[in-house]
Amino acid sequence: MSKRKISRREYLKYAAAGVIVAAGAIGGYAAWQSTRKPLEKDEIIIGVLAPMATRQGSVQRDAAALAIEEINAAGGILGVPVKMVVGDDKLDPDAAVSEFRRLVTVENADVLTGGYSSGIMAATMEPMAELKTVFLADASSPAHPAKVAEDYEKYKYWFRITQNNGASFAFDMADMIDMLREKGVPVDKIYIIRDEHVWADDVEKFFNPLLTERNVEVVKNVKIPRGYTEYEPLIIEAHDLGAQVILPIVALSGTGDVLAKHWATLKLPVLLAGHDLAALDLGFWEKTEGACNYYIFIADGGVVQTAPPTAMCANFIENYKYKYGNPPEAHQGYGAYDAVYLYKMVIEEATKAGEANPLDSDTVVKYLEKTATLENPVELTRNIAFYPPGDENKWDHDLAWGDKYVRNLISEWIDGKWYEIWPEDKANAELKLPPWFK
Amino acid sequence: MMNVLLKSTSFKDKRILGILIFVAVSLIIARITPDALTYIIGLTYLFIILAVSWDIIVGYAGQINLGHTVFVGIGAYTTALLQVPSRFQGTFFEFLSEMPRIPIFASIFFGGIVAGIVGFLIGVITLRLRGWYFALVTAILPLVFIETTIIGSGVFGGEEGFSVGLERALAPTSLGKYYIALALMLVSVTTMFMIVNSRVGLKFKAVREDFYLAESVGINTVNYKVLAFVISSFFAGITGAAIVHYRSTVSPGLYDIPLMLLIILAAVIGGLGTILGPIVGGFIVYLTRYWWLKGAISAFTIAGLPINDDIILYMILIALAILAPEGLWVRVRRFVSET
Amino acid sequence: MIELLMRILVYGATLSGIYALIASGFTLIFGVSRIMNFAHGAFFILGAYFGIALIHGIGLNPYLSTIISILMVGLLAAAMYKSIISPVREHEVMVIIVTLAFALIVEQVILLTFGEHGISFPSVIEGVVIVGTVLIPSMRLFVLAVAIIALIMLWTFIGKTRLGKEITAASQDAEAAMLIGLDVGRLLIVTVFISAILAALGGVLYAQVYAANPFIILKSLIFAFAIVILGGLGSVKGSIIASFIVGYILTAMIVLYGARWSELVALLIIIAILVLRPAGLLGAKEL
Repeated sequence: MSKRKISRREYLKYAAAGVIVAAGAIGGYAAWQSTRKPLEKDEIIIGVLAPMATRQGSVQRDAAALAIEEINAAGGILGVPVKMVVGDDKLDPDAAVSEFRRLVTVENADVLTGGYSSGIMAATMEPMAELKTVFLADASSPAHPAKVAEDYEKYKYWFRITQNNGASFAFDMADMIDMLREKGVPVDKIYIIRDEHVWADDVEKFFNPLLTERNVEVVKNVKIPRGYTEYEPLIIEAHDLGAQVILPIVALSGTGDVLAKHWATLKLPVLLAGHDLAALDLGFWEKTEGACNYYIFIADGGVVQTAPPTAMCANFIENYKYKYGNPPEAHQGYGAYDAVYLYKMVIEEATKAGEANPLDSDTVVKYLEKTATLENPVELTRNIAFYPPGDENKWDHDLAWGDKYVRNLISEWIDGKWYEIWPEDKANAELKLPPWFK
Repeated sequence: MMNVLLKSTSFKDKRILGILIFVAVSLIIARITPDALTYIIGLTYLFIILAVSWDIIVGYAGQINLGHTVFVGIGAYTTALLQVPSRFQGTFFEFLSEMPRIPIFASIFFGGIVAGIVGFLIGVITLRLRGWYFALVTAILPLVFIETTIIGSGVFGGEEGFSVGLERALAPTSLGKYYIALALMLVSVTTMFMIVNSRVGLKFKAVREDFYLAESVGINTVNYKVLAFVISSFFAGITGAAIVHYRSTVSPGLYDIPLMLLIILAAVIGGLGTILGPIVGGFIVYLTRYWWLKGAISAFTIAGLPINDDIILYMILIALAILAPEGLWVRVRRFVSET
Repeated sequence: MIELLMRILVYGATLSGIYALIASGFTLIFGVSRIMNFAHGAFFILGAYFGIALIHGIGLNPYLSTIISILMVGLLAAAMYKSIISPVREHEVMVIIVTLAFALIVEQVILLTFGEHGISFPSVIEGVVIVGTVLIPSMRLFVLAVAIIALIMLWTFIGKTRLGKEITAASQDAEAAMLIGLDVGRLLIVTVFISAILAALGGVLYAQVYAANPFIILKSLIFAFAIVILGGLGSVKGSIIASFIVGYILTAMIVLYGARWSELVALLIIIAILVLRPAGLLGAKEL
């Protein structure tokens, strides 16, 4: 009996001691944190928040690490070394939101880059607004800049740097139809297979008038759910309805490989050309056992390794290969790399202009808007410019689309390789039609 | 002194003392933790309600509900749409877009009511049969729910969901949200605790322990199972709604399988049918997943092994289920009381 | 119109045949042991991934790698039963939890090793055939044929062989089977092995017509649930009939009405049927 009492008392003693130590540690930490002044920073901290289990996430971490390494080797940002902190959003909105908060409030990140999934981006824009942290982001939904447009003061910290607004695929695909016509493919009827998702609605909003302008009839528009696989009946139907082109607008359904396979199996005289995220994968040929041959698609992000658009881009690909043994695994890498360099530029600009606190988020936003403008895009791995606040399409702070800026190139899988076929000045192969297309 | 105090107090008083200590620690700790951690602990409190409410239907009534997150989601979308009725514009439900704005706490409560009603309808259909059908049907529900939010993207916002706005947050600061979450957790858990320890709760257990015996002594087993399911769904709905105002945003991904698994993990670690167990389990699981388990695992992936946080969590789950099926917390408590 | 019906008939049959392979095994295990094996979807797709790994890793031909891969899955399933299901067998909730956790571990490992995108299993037959005026990939007919042969073999095994009859006896009344001296534990391992092989074969066939990807684990599981609910838990015959009903509902929805609603409607129809016939089409009443 007495033994029991003692042990419980001991236990309580230890527990109490533990609580006091823990509380002291946390309190001390908090006190230390509150005495820090941002200007006296001995390092600048860049956070990368992305799904690290996917190549689209890990490439952002690796590309940002490379940029930071290069910048530190050249003396950092204004003599201050740069450090990277990493968060994994695990494609889970809860994890993303908590990681965002952790990177900013615990790791003291000054700026964040990253993202991938549109849904998660929408969720992380809330802590971004609350914590007032600049986020140079990926994802492609028009819903994100629309938030900036609707409540500028709150969401102005968001900039899209990695790829164009998904709706801009409409412009690229209209160009694709023009190109096909130019090369002698009579395109007047198309069959659209699209994601059951708002992003595809936004593409169509811009795409439909462009189709009307070109007298192209949409014989049918099929919405498919995530993970959809029954493409054969659709391909046969497209052919029955007289379409020359099956035009996918798919990213989230995630089964573009099955679409390519069914199309290649049936070999009906109808082209497969449009936007399909699955095709933008260097391993796509192996994964589809070559069924993707002659698949024409929009290459997202404005870069293909075989045709780097700028000198910095060629350099980046080389350095990446040297450091990691392979070229960037996904186009998100270019965005993350650009994000780090653009941030450096902006801090330097702000300091030069005599800003009292160049690392302050509001200041950074101001200088991002001033530095990468439609008039003077910044040449990084791509030519980066942001649409200004008050954009007519509500694309505020979105990556500018166009030949002068970033746009998607038209690509094709031909005999095991991913080729660029348009625009002509960047192309490294000619359009090749499938032999069964007459 | 402490010892005398402990010795002289009865079991019930000790429990109250425990709660008071917990509340005191919770109130103080938020003042010293960094903002991000305060935010996560607040979410952990809400998560605890989910684990405990799942325990009502699974641990007490013995029905395996794999669609608990759907009721969380129903509560969430109910409050979000009540707060942003303009989402109904241009749809069949246009007339709803003119709804007057109600206070957020009323709409959170309403989220619970709607979840409870849906739970009632599903329960009436499926709980007539022995547990297996219920498990299978509830396992299908998340897919039905998520596809509905995506197909009805005009209203529900599709995969991105929509924002209810910071101005409709539970509180303007993380600390404020934390306190509200704490209060909600205390009220909900106490209510559920009282229910399961009432005569109704005893009947739940009777249904779980021996179906035939319960029937033979005149307990209408179906009614009690449905009642347990409605209570469980109601609290899931309230919590889902509160989470919307905690995060200021709603999207279907938040109510998918990963959350369901965390709930299961919390309840299993704590021990099913114990209320207190899932509370402890909820703390451990949620904070581990979203705070402590950061990068600890990346060492494995760098070494080339296909292992990540999730795999570790699922392995722990299997190991626990085999080694301590009655719950880790129950074991610890027994161990402590034996020493 | 006739052409449309033909299309539904042929295309629906392939999908139904694959569903039948996965659902019949799930329900068979349940029948014998009252175990809900939530890892069944993992066995389904592991058949495909093991096969793909064998083909690309050591250059086996598709037929041989299929055989080795489904046997590997069968053994894995038996080992899984022994190591993690058996210790918690008495605990219904825990059986579901451990098998679901196992399925999710498999999903994550596949994600980390093969990535999120689909990978195709090399088709053993190429080209298309034209039946009447309907264009059909030969592979689809092949898959249907293999699925039907496998189901007939299962049927013969259960109905004609001694072991099969013992399994049937155990599934009707496990206690009585024990009383007459059957080793129910051994029968159960055999059942798990056979069910996993059927599922793995389904996965290989699936990856030939479509592609293997990690998310199919849960999706195939959900459709297996829907099918066994419809067919009646524990009834192999019911699950086969229900597979064809579900497969045809899906295909008819796609061909006649559009892909968009197909899955949702199929699932809602199943829940609606449950309201009318709570125990499914051929389910035992006392369940």
